[in-house]
Amino acid sequence: MTRIIASYNIKGGVGKTSTAVNLAYLAARGGARTLVWDLDPQGSSSFLFRIKAKVKGGGDKLVTGRSDVGGLIRGTDHDRLDLLPADFSYRRMDLALDATKKPTRRLARVLAGVADEYDYIFLDCPPSISLVSESVFEAAGSLLVPLVPATLSMRTFPQLERVLRDGADAPAVLAFFSMVDGRKRMHREVMEQMGRDHTGLLGTVIPAATDIERMGLHRSPVAEFAPRGRAALAYEALWAEVLGRLNGGGDGRAMR
Amino acid sequence: MAADATQYLLSEGVGLDAALAELSGRFDVASDPSQPTRRTFYDTFDGRLHAAGLALIEEDGRLVAGAGPCYRELATAIRPAAWGERLFAGDLPDGPLRSLIGPIIEVRALVPVARTRGRARAVRVLNGDVKTVVRLVLGAESAVLGGGGDEVRLRARLHVVGVRGYDRALARVRRTLSGELGLEESGVALHDEAVRAGGGIPGGVSTRLDLRLAGDGPALAGAVVAMGEMLRTIELTLPGVVADVDSEFLHDLRVAVRRTRSIQRQLASEFPAEPLGRFRREFRWLGQVTGPARDLDVLVLDLAAMRAQLPEDRARELDPLGDLLHRRRERERRRMVGALESDRTRGLLAGWSEFLGQLGRAGVNGGGDRLLGMVVGERIRRVYRQMSRAGRSIDDGSPAMDLHDLRKQGKELRYLLEIFAGLYPAGAVRPTVRRLKALQETLGRFQDREVQATMLRSLGGELVAADGGPAALLTLGVVLERIEADGGAARAEFAERFAVYSAAGQRRLIRDSFR
Repeated sequence: MTRIIASYNIKGGVGKTSTAVNLAYLAARGGARTLVWDLDPQGSSSFLFRIKAKVKGGGDKLVTGRSDVGGLIRGTDHDRLDLLPADFSYRRMDLALDATKKPTRRLARVLAGVADEYDYIFLDCPPSISLVSESVFEAAGSLLVPLVPATLSMRTFPQLERVLRDGADAPAVLAFFSMVDGRKRMHREVMEQMGRDHTGLLGTVIPAATDIERMGLHRSPVAEFAPRGRAALAYEALWAEVLGRLNGGGDGRAMR
Repeated sequence: MAADATQYLLSEGVGLDAALAELSGRFDVASDPSQPTRRTFYDTFDGRLHAAGLALIEEDGRLVAGAGPCYRELATAIRPAAWGERLFAGDLPDGPLRSLIGPIIEVRALVPVARTRGRARAVRVLNGDVKTVVRLVLGAESAVLGGGGDEVRLRARLHVVGVRGYDRALARVRRTLSGELGLEESGVALHDEAVRAGGGIPGGVSTRLDLRLAGDGPALAGAVVAMGEMLRTIELTLPGVVADVDSEFLHDLRVAVRRTRSIQRQLASEFPAEPLGRFRREFRWLGQVTGPARDLDVLVLDLAAMRAQLPEDRARELDPLGDLLHRRRERERRRMVGALESDRTRGLLAGWSEFLGQLGRAGVNGGGDRLLGMVVGERIRRVYRQMSRAGRSIDDGSPAMDLHDLRKQGKELRYLLEIFAGLYPAGAVRPTVRRLKALQETLGRFQDREVQATMLRSLGGELVAADGGPAALLTLGVVLERIEADGGAARAEFAERFAVYSAAGQRRLIRDSFR
């Protein structure tokens, strides 16, 4: 059974790519066959895995089923971890999807061709609420939602909850705090308030750590270059907690 | 996800550092420090994983099922804490690895077939973005023999594994390795080389019959070759029976004994009456002393299957019965092992080997004048006729013994057909064996269920005195009902199976083809 997990937030700069890259790395390191699809036209995941953000035929051909998905996948530097790279044309993915029948099912159909090869597929999503997001919600069993404990950032979470509430078969939401600076009183207060208002939040907190910023320099998951750092340990704890939720029946759905 | 992999043998005497220097001069590479390796390779005695193109490797507390000579990883698992030298499918951790291996090995045990140790160094070929585009592993390992004392150094190897999406880089590396560096590609897996270094046969030991006999040669010479093959199987399986590796050793040994006895009986006229008579009595004894242990093996295996069909709480109630059967099996096994390790068995096998040798030498110098194809064909036609007569006389009121006797005749015929298959047209042998097997399966199920029901009933007194015995006895009643129902179903199938087996077309096939 392939599990599709999207790293998603309406807001940008909250740690979606770091989450997708680090958790996918940990899944693969644990023995699972893992794929990351870099859906963000900025191509940050692709950059971190040292793979060109380029897809032959572009996003249009890919989402309309005219590309050989398997042939576009690239192996990363890490065992069992592959990447379906980003492409600058993904910025028009909404339009490409809109031109298809049943647009919200397209991403799931693209993945169906390679799902048998993987135990986990991580979707690194662009920050938006759009047809692409709706297609992600259809494809994914779970949404990993990094939340920065700041006022503007927190405003988007209820918006996401509203959108998902309207969906008939919405993915399970696995929200957690990201880029947390424990010295900031506002971060502490917002986390306390959110903890009271939302009982289902994951307990692991990802710190605002230099190691995460250094991923861009090393072009590698944190566990590769700073395995004992607090960021690496936090991602390990997060993956363990996510696995617990997935295996404890909290997971949304298998590949459809 | 599957990666394209190739392996090359390094030149004799070339170590890892020299090989790395060669590679660094030709590619942009990054390498990890060399690491010690220590691996144990598992397979069944008859090499079922090898035949399926798989290897099961234990290394650093991990189990890896790999495919092909480069061990392309198919499934992994953490090695369980309780890890012995003999493993059944049920001992493997539940998950993809067991799902892959279990159906291949069935009831056979996995045992270590090779051990290696040495050093390995991971090397990555990089592109302009410092991205890994081809993975290399340099390995210098030795085969660890026997108890772990002696080692035989194996040729150092270079594994080349492609990274998905970088096919051109892989092709370039391969061209350089085989062209510029002149390295020799090898399709032989490391553990096969290690097995060979220890004097073993890669791929395990097969007890399957594959005799190439000449129908127009002397019957005695053919019979001697066939019985020599049976003796080889007995000698190969005997240590596994004594060590209780798995139940198939005893099964294979008993089949070889029965086949030997079958040829002794069916081709008796070709042999000197004595000492054949003495050997026939001794092989009969060998069959008898191994029978009870085999019956209990079958019962233990069948009980496991029956347990699986019961609700979990009812199945657990059978634990005292399982314990009792295991104790009884152990007792019968000790008796059997005592007999197998006795001077009588040693004398029988040595004497039989000597006798076959004498006959073989005499056969080379002329031997009898009756031809093998003619003699065996005559026997096949005769046993078939006898079976047809006996089968036709069986009806719903016939005693169970009539069906058991028919099964014995069927075994006799099946052995003749299997041992001497090469003498007759495959188009006649295959359908005959298929129909006979279908009939024998029905007769075998009927007899096994009778034996099992009798044996289980005989355990009642002992079982009721055991802890949890009364509950076990109640559940045993359910099991007995199922056994008897299955035996009854087998008996009901008999008429239909026998009709197919004795149909006019089959009779013609026997009459016209086995001459």
